[in-house]
Amino acid sequence: MIATFFGQDALSSNAAFVLSLLLGFGFGFALEQAGFGSSRRLAGIFYFRDMTVLRVMFTAMVTAMLGLQLALVLGVVSADQVYFLPTIYGAQIVGGLLFGVGFVLSSWCPGTAAVGLASGRLDALIFLGGAALGSILFNEMYGFVAPLASWGDSGVKFAWASLGMSGPVFALLFATVAVAAFWGSEWIEKKVAGTGPYLGSPFLKAFSVTILVAAFAVAMLPPTASTRPSEAALLQAMDAGEDHIDPDELADRLMAGDASLLVVDIRTPAEFAAFHIRTAVNVVAADLTEFLAPHKNRGIIVLYSNGMTHPAQARDALARLGFNNAYILTDGLRGFMEQILKPVSLRTAPLSARQAAKVNAWRAFFLGGATAPAPVPVGDLPRLVETGWLQQHLGRDDVRIIDVRPQPAYNGGHIPGSVRMDPEHFRGVIGGVSSMLLPAEMIARQLGLLGVTPQTMVILVPSEKVHDATLIAIALERVGHTRYAILNGGWEQWLAEKRPVDTALPLITATTYPTPAGPDNFTVDYRTVLAHSQRRTAVLIDVRPAEAFTGKKSDEARAGHVPVAVNRPFTSDVSTTNGVSRFLPVSELAAAYAKLIPSADSPVIVSCRTGHQASQAFFVLRHLLGYRNVSWYDGGWSEWSSRPELPVETPASSG
Amino acid sequence: MNSHSSTPSTGPKPHLNPYLAGVLLGLVLLASFLTLGVGLGASAGIARAGAYAQSCVMPQHVAGSAYFGAWGNDPLRYYLVFMFVGTLLGGLVSAIAGRRVQPQLERGPTASRGLRITLALVGGVLAGFASRLASGCTSGQGLTGGAMLVTGSLLFLGAMFVSGYAMAWFVRRQWQ
Repeated sequence: MIATFFGQDALSSNAAFVLSLLLGFGFGFALEQAGFGSSRRLAGIFYFRDMTVLRVMFTAMVTAMLGLQLALVLGVVSADQVYFLPTIYGAQIVGGLLFGVGFVLSSWCPGTAAVGLASGRLDALIFLGGAALGSILFNEMYGFVAPLASWGDSGVKFAWASLGMSGPVFALLFATVAVAAFWGSEWIEKKVAGTGPYLGSPFLKAFSVTILVAAFAVAMLPPTASTRPSEAALLQAMDAGEDHIDPDELADRLMAGDASLLVVDIRTPAEFAAFHIRTAVNVVAADLTEFLAPHKNRGIIVLYSNGMTHPAQARDALARLGFNNAYILTDGLRGFMEQILKPVSLRTAPLSARQAAKVNAWRAFFLGGATAPAPVPVGDLPRLVETGWLQQHLGRDDVRIIDVRPQPAYNGGHIPGSVRMDPEHFRGVIGGVSSMLLPAEMIARQLGLLGVTPQTMVILVPSEKVHDATLIAIALERVGHTRYAILNGGWEQWLAEKRPVDTALPLITATTYPTPAGPDNFTVDYRTVLAHSQRRTAVLIDVRPAEAFTGKKSDEARAGHVPVAVNRPFTSDVSTTNGVSRFLPVSELAAAYAKLIPSADSPVIVSCRTGHQASQAFFVLRHLLGYRNVSWYDGGWSEWSSRPELPVETPASSG
Repeated sequence: MNSHSSTPSTGPKPHLNPYLAGVLLGLVLLASFLTLGVGLGASAGIARAGAYAQSCVMPQHVAGSAYFGAWGNDPLRYYLVFMFVGTLLGGLVSAIAGRRVQPQLERGPTASRGLRITLALVGGVLAGFASRLASGCTSGQGLTGGAMLVTGSLLFLGAMFVSGYAMAWFVRRQWQ
């Protein structure tokens, strides 16, 4: 597998500069060899007298295309190592039209003009000066043209996907069109200029057949090969010890309740029954691939036996089958016994008090077994708990109560054992947009400091602002923490019922909360919102107060809302009586949202000004009402209104 | 131009077979995909030279501008600038080897110098502007995006030839 400079974010390194110089050299050499150092020759394509440009460009595109497809299919390079250009319809179509005019007037384009200048052409120098001026002009006019430059931004879009084909099949079609164009261009050149030197020549016949056969072969290659790592990569990973996990790391992660770990004991069932590492499953080597198939490249698989030979063989076999998440336990079960489970008194090396405490904790966890309490059960719905339930679960290690009120209020009295967390600690400035939810790894770090593990049941205690709790809930969602609930009625309800309160600050042992591998699957950016707004493919719910939605009142760059969005103020979902804020009964909420959203699977995007209020709507829709396809536009109106290229609707503009 | 057949030892050598030149170009592009992880480009090098030149005259204006400003204090420290220099060098070596270095203003036999200079300049301004708008030119959008089969890049190529052919008749005099 190739690691490209782009893939390593190293395009601005000196090595990349040297490589670019060399590739540029090859580029210029090839262009000059093709005869592109002459504007007269380049202009020929527009008058059908010299179709060289078409032949060279089509051949180059087909060559690189087949090579790239082959490299992707064979797994020589993965798609994330290559920068694929985005499709921006407005910019590329208008830009293409303008560029074509510039091309035919000057008979140069930037690359060929460089070669033309090298060939002594004065008109190439004039063109290059003009192109630099045109770039400066673009910069000066950027205020006007920026909306056009991002108009129709659709992200990475492939022609084959747009047409519902596979890449290799479209490539075959493309190659066929290229061959037809070669013959057509030779024919037309013969008609117009009496040349067409390769028309019907053995060379062109052989060349055409070669291209078609190559394209056909690429299209027929089985895509399964793509996941195979090379032997060299495998050996390299072994050398670097990347395929090992050390006993202490495994022990700590298991104790922290890391749900991404799958520990597999490949010894005999009798040995397994005698003793095994806690949470491990017993799979004999022969059944391994079948058993592990659902876990391929998901989470972390740790293989162990008494020693290391068998797990290493099993790990290599899995790697050849495309598993890149199989690890072996360093020194096997014997090493684990020695490093983790050996009592402090039997160890030869002196241990510090801290190390000794750690060993005792390991021994308690892996040998004690039954001492851990049964985990707190959680149903799928609803995600609200009542005060009575919480009082019964006070004092448990696997329940963490988070109070979202301001520090002075918390200090004055709180639910026993609860910790205080400001929801704003989960937000920050990202990409120039303020109040964005932090990346998963930062949220995970905060949760670790609160002593939360993936097994912890988190109870969020709001005050009158329920959306302070839902903001933390959405932060939990980002790291994939689903074990949480909101205390219905919050602090005020607890207080009104005269339930226990204290002012003691709980002692917390920090944990390492595991960082999820990928981004969350519910946060969308303005491009997605724009696309859905233009195509009307999602229900856009803006939960800001009505006067902000209509644009009557505005604190932002522009007033109004995203076109086709509907308004359902977040305050409508909560009722407050005697200072206690509670969600409306689920039946009332369901009836209200059924009017806005056609079905439980309809795509819905909720937004507000900064994502804060919308986190409440997200919670209501996804967890109280069970809508399955709800997304959250974090940037919200503060981002949307500050991007002048994005359309805005106000009551006046919508009629 | 028409003497190369009579004096083969001193006149320009013939060009490479266009299909083979295309394969060579395609292999360079493929090498770029597989090593740099990006395709070839030319217009960005010119634009950055433009930004550099402008910042020599009015540094504060450029640093504060929305588009060039994002390129930082040293717009020339960019891989496509090095690629452009490489393109010039590669073209030079190939042209010298092929005895095709001919200082001249290329134009039709009866076309005036003024017409050719004007069209080259205006065409250059348009192409420079358009390649910033589309984030690429024939190389960066057409060739690179085309080989990646990117929808927008193929549309760019199509649009480029549509307007090129539409305008060709009006500017034919420069080649007559």
